[in-house]
Amino acid sequence: MITLPSYLFISFVLFICGLVVMIARKNIVAIMLGIELILNAAALNFAAYTKFINQNLDGHIISLFIIVIAAAEAAVGLAIVIRFYQIKESIHIDDATQLQS
Amino acid sequence: MFDQILFILSAVITMGGALAVVFSNNLMHACVYLLASLFGVAGLYATLNADFLAATQLVVYAGGVVILMLFAIMLTGGVQSTVNKFGIVKVPGMGNAKTYSAAGLAAVVISFVLFKILKNAAAMPAKGQMAYESTVEKLGGLLVSDHVLAFELSSILLLGALVGAAVIARPRHIKDDV
Repeated sequence: MITLPSYLFISFVLFICGLVVMIARKNIVAIMLGIELILNAAALNFAAYTKFINQNLDGHIISLFIIVIAAAEAAVGLAIVIRFYQIKESIHIDDATQLQS
Repeated sequence: MFDQILFILSAVITMGGALAVVFSNNLMHACVYLLASLFGVAGLYATLNADFLAATQLVVYAGGVVILMLFAIMLTGGVQSTVNKFGIVKVPGMGNAKTYSAAGLAAVVISFVLFKILKNAAAMPAKGQMAYESTVEKLGGLLVSDHVLAFELSSILLLGALVGAAVIARPRHIKDDV
């Protein structure tokens, strides 16, 4: 029951859900929700391979760094989103066509 | 037995939360469903003997990232904003035969790749299960011995993200002519 392929399948579902959110939604904050799902799928894969294949805790370290980087990415990304909303009065992704206005 | 109950519960919460993030119409609800999905991932870490990872996942995501997302949604118009609705109905190029055939082709390719990976993963010889013991001490030792460069770099990254987020989000007035 609790085997490596079941964890890989859960991670696959998380990844596909994040991809669909990133493609289908037009809100920039919603796209960042999709990024969080994808990063979690990757971190879950590292932890699962650590338990079932090599067992030397390097995967846990990498999962830890993925969590750290996801937090930093969320902070900077949301700052950019809020700044974009102050300038454009919109958070539709199709309005983000210029780097500098 | 307890492991299996925890695993099934966490798997259902994780996948259900992720699907609810996709199909929820309200962005605020989607964010709360994301929180449920992250809780499920923390439960999966617990079934993988990764106790420190589970705790970190709960602290960082539930305490930090999801709250930040909720604040960002509220600061950018909340649920009244029209783009908070599900975006797929707004795309005019979707829903015809061409996109459906492309989606079918992508589904076939993805299922083939998934089958291949899962078959290989099932064929890998699983070593004996790790004993239940705390990983905190070993992780701390590894972080300051083998992975000390990445550890220090991540501290620089966090400092840069902190300063950068404050600089980007600060309100600028027109007379500043930055």
